[in-house]
Amino acid sequence: MEKIRFQRSQLCIPYGLFLVCFVLAPLIVIIYYAFTNGEGQFTLENLIGFFSSPNTIGTLAYSFGIAVATTCTCLMLAYPIAYILARSNMKHKSVILMVFVMPMWINFTLRITALKEILTMVEGNLAYHPFLNTLIGMTYDFLPFMILPIYTTLLKLDGSLLEAAADLGADTVQTFLKVTLPLSVPGIISGIVMVFLPSMTNYVVLDMLYNSTYIMGSLIGAYFSAYDWHNGSMIALILLVIILVFTLLTNRYADQDAGSSRGGVLG
Amino acid sequence: MAKIGNSRALAVLSAFAVCSFLSGTVYAREEPIILRVCSWEEYIDLGEWDEEEAIALDNGTVIFGERPLYEEFEDWYRETYGREVRVEYSCFGTNEDLYNQLNMGDTYDLVCPSEYMIMKLMAEDRLLPYSDSFYDTDNANNFYINNVSPFIQETLESNEIGGESWSKYAAGYMWGITGVLYNPELVTEEEASTWEIFGNPKFHRQITLKDNVRDSYFAALGILKADELTDENFIHSVDYHDKLADVMNDVSPETIEQAQELLDELMGNVYSLETDSGKADMITGKIVANYQWSGDAVYAMDQADEDDFELRFAVPKESTNLWFDGWVMLKSGIDDNADRQHAAEAFVNFVSRTDNAVRNMYYIGYTSSIAGNKEDDTIYEYMNWCYGADEEEEDIMEYPVGYFFSGDNSDENYILQSTGSQMGRQLYSQYPPQDVMERTAIMRYFDEDANKAINQMWINVRCFDIADVPTVVWMALLAGLLVLVWMGYRRSKRR
Repeated sequence: MEKIRFQRSQLCIPYGLFLVCFVLAPLIVIIYYAFTNGEGQFTLENLIGFFSSPNTIGTLAYSFGIAVATTCTCLMLAYPIAYILARSNMKHKSVILMVFVMPMWINFTLRITALKEILTMVEGNLAYHPFLNTLIGMTYDFLPFMILPIYTTLLKLDGSLLEAAADLGADTVQTFLKVTLPLSVPGIISGIVMVFLPSMTNYVVLDMLYNSTYIMGSLIGAYFSAYDWHNGSMIALILLVIILVFTLLTNRYADQDAGSSRGGVLG
Repeated sequence: MAKIGNSRALAVLSAFAVCSFLSGTVYAREEPIILRVCSWEEYIDLGEWDEEEAIALDNGTVIFGERPLYEEFEDWYRETYGREVRVEYSCFGTNEDLYNQLNMGDTYDLVCPSEYMIMKLMAEDRLLPYSDSFYDTDNANNFYINNVSPFIQETLESNEIGGESWSKYAAGYMWGITGVLYNPELVTEEEASTWEIFGNPKFHRQITLKDNVRDSYFAALGILKADELTDENFIHSVDYHDKLADVMNDVSPETIEQAQELLDELMGNVYSLETDSGKADMITGKIVANYQWSGDAVYAMDQADEDDFELRFAVPKESTNLWFDGWVMLKSGIDDNADRQHAAEAFVNFVSRTDNAVRNMYYIGYTSSIAGNKEDDTIYEYMNWCYGADEEEEDIMEYPVGYFFSGDNSDENYILQSTGSQMGRQLYSQYPPQDVMERTAIMRYFDEDANKAINQMWINVRCFDIADVPTVVWMALLAGLLVLVWMGYRRSKRR
C-alpha cells in the first residue's frame, strides 16, 4: 500500500480556500456594491457623495481624531511602562507585566461597563465629555496591545550596545535618544498599527459610553440597516484603502528606520 | 473505570438508537409539517416557571408556564388535528434585520414584525392573506378571532394598503404606545407630558432619546407641530384621527429638513441616544427622564419598585405613537402548501388562547392584543390580578377599559377597581385610558424616496459635521504638518 504523501504546497490549500471564501469573495461583493447604484448600473456617485458631504467627511475626521488621540495616549502611557519593565532588574517582571495585560482576559463589554460606572462616579454626568470618555475607554481597551510589542523589542535589545554608548561618553539621556529609542521603533510601529486601526471603527465603546456621534464603523451599519448596501460598501471600501495606505506607510517607515538606525549605531 | 464509562456510553447510545428507531416508525406514516417561525428575541413565553410563579386568577384559572409555548403548540396540534408539526423557532433583532434576512434568501412561514414592516411587506405583495376559516367565529379553536380585542381588530380593519385592510394579512400580537418615563422627584407630570421635554434646558444632559429614526422623528414631529396638534379646533374636528395620522406621517422635504435642524438641536441637550440602556440608567439615576415604549416602561417601573424608587410614565399631550407587532404569513415560506398554512394559522390561534396570552404578557411585559370574550374573562382577570384594588383599600379608583375589551368604554363589566396610585403607573402604561388612546397615531411605512430622505436625515444628525471641528484643532494640525515638513527638510539636507 502506498503511503499518501503530502507536498508542502498542498498544506496551503485550506488556507487558500479560506482566503478565497472569506476574504476575496466578500471583497469582490463590496467592490461591486460600492460602484453600482440601486439599478445595478456602474456609478461613481457613492464615491463622490462621500467626499462631498460635510457629514461623511466629518465622520472620517472624527474617527481619525479618536484614533490619533487614542494612539498617542497609548504610546505615551505604554512606552515608559514597557521601558521600566524591560530595563529594570525587578524579580517579578513577568508578574507586573501580567497585571497590565490581565484586563485583556476579561470580556471587553464587561470592562467598559465597569469603566462607565467609574467614570460616572468621577465626572457625575458622562454626557458633557463624550470625546474624553471615548478616549479613556479606547485607551483602556487597547493599552495592552501597545505595551506588549514595545516590551518585547526592548527586551531583545542588546545590553552591550548601551554599555558601549556609555563607554563612549554618552549620558543616560543621550543613550536613550540615540540608541534605545531608534532601536525600539519597530515595536512602536507594530503597536501603533495594532491600536490605530481598530480604534477607528470600534463603535461599541462609543455606544456604551453614551457618545452618540457616528464613527466609520457605525456609519456603515447605519447605511446597511437602511438597506443602502451601495453607500455602506463604499465607506467600507474607503476605510479599507485608508488602512492599506496606512499599513504600507508604516511598513516602509519601519524598514527604513530600523536599517538606518542600526547603521548609525554600528557604523 | 474506563470500561464502566464506555459501557455506560454504549448504553446511552443504544437507548438513543432505539428511541430514534421508535419515533422513526411512528412518524414514518406521515411526514411532520415543518413550521418556520421567526419573531423578536424573548418574545414568547419559554416556560420553566417556578412553582410559586403560578398565577391563580379569581375566575379559577391557574396559569403556569411549563415548557416553551412553541413546543406546547406541537402537542396541542397533534391532539387537536391529529397531525405532527414541528416548529423551527428563530429570532430576529430588528425589523430591518428581518427584512434583510428575507431578501438574502431565508425562508420563514410565519413572522412577527412591527406595523410598518407589515405594511412594507404587504405593499411588496409578499404576504399571504389568512384563510376565510381563520375568521370563522363558530369554530371554538379559532382563538384569535374569538379573543382579539375589538379595539385592535378595528384598527387593523380601518387601515389599508393598496385598498386592502391590514386585518386580512395580519393578526395582532403585542401592542403599545410611546411616551416619557420620568422620575417624579425631579420632573413634574406636566413637564413630562410633552415631546418638548427633550429640548427643555432644565434637563440638560439628563434625558435620553431613542436610537432609531422612526421614534426620534415622531418626537420631532410632535415638537414641530405642537401648536397645531394641541389646538382645540383641531382636536375637536370631525375627522381628527385622519388629520392626526396625516400630521404625524408628514414626510415632506421641508418637514424633514426642519426635523433635522430640530434633532440637531436636541442632540445638544440630551444625555444620549439609547435602545436598551435607558431603563437601567433611569433606575440608577443617571438620567431623570427617557423616551420609552409602554412595555419597557412597565418593566422599568417594576424594577424600580423593587428598589423602593418611584418612576412614572407620561404620554405627551401632542400625540403618541400606537405601534403593534403582528403575525403575518409569508408567501415565499408557505409556498401554497395548505397543510403548512393550516399549521401557521393554528399557531396564531394557539398563542391567542387567553391563558397563553397571559403567559406571554407575564413573560414579556408588553400588552397582548388578545382581550378574551364574554365567556372567557381570563385576560381581564389577569389585569385585575395585577392591578386590582383590595376592597378595604382607600383611594379606590374606577378605571374603565371597555374600549379594549368590548369596544364600549362605558361597559360596566370592564371598569376595573384599582387604586389611584396606578394613574401614571403600570396600569396606565399597559392599558392607557381612552382619552390617551384618542391621540394615538400609527406611523406608516414611508415610500422609498421618503424613506431614503428620512434615513439620510438621521445619518446627518448622527454624523460629526466637519464645520464643528474647533479652530484649535485645525491650528494644531497645521502646526503638526509644519513640524513634519521641517523634519523632512532637515533629514534630506543631512543626507
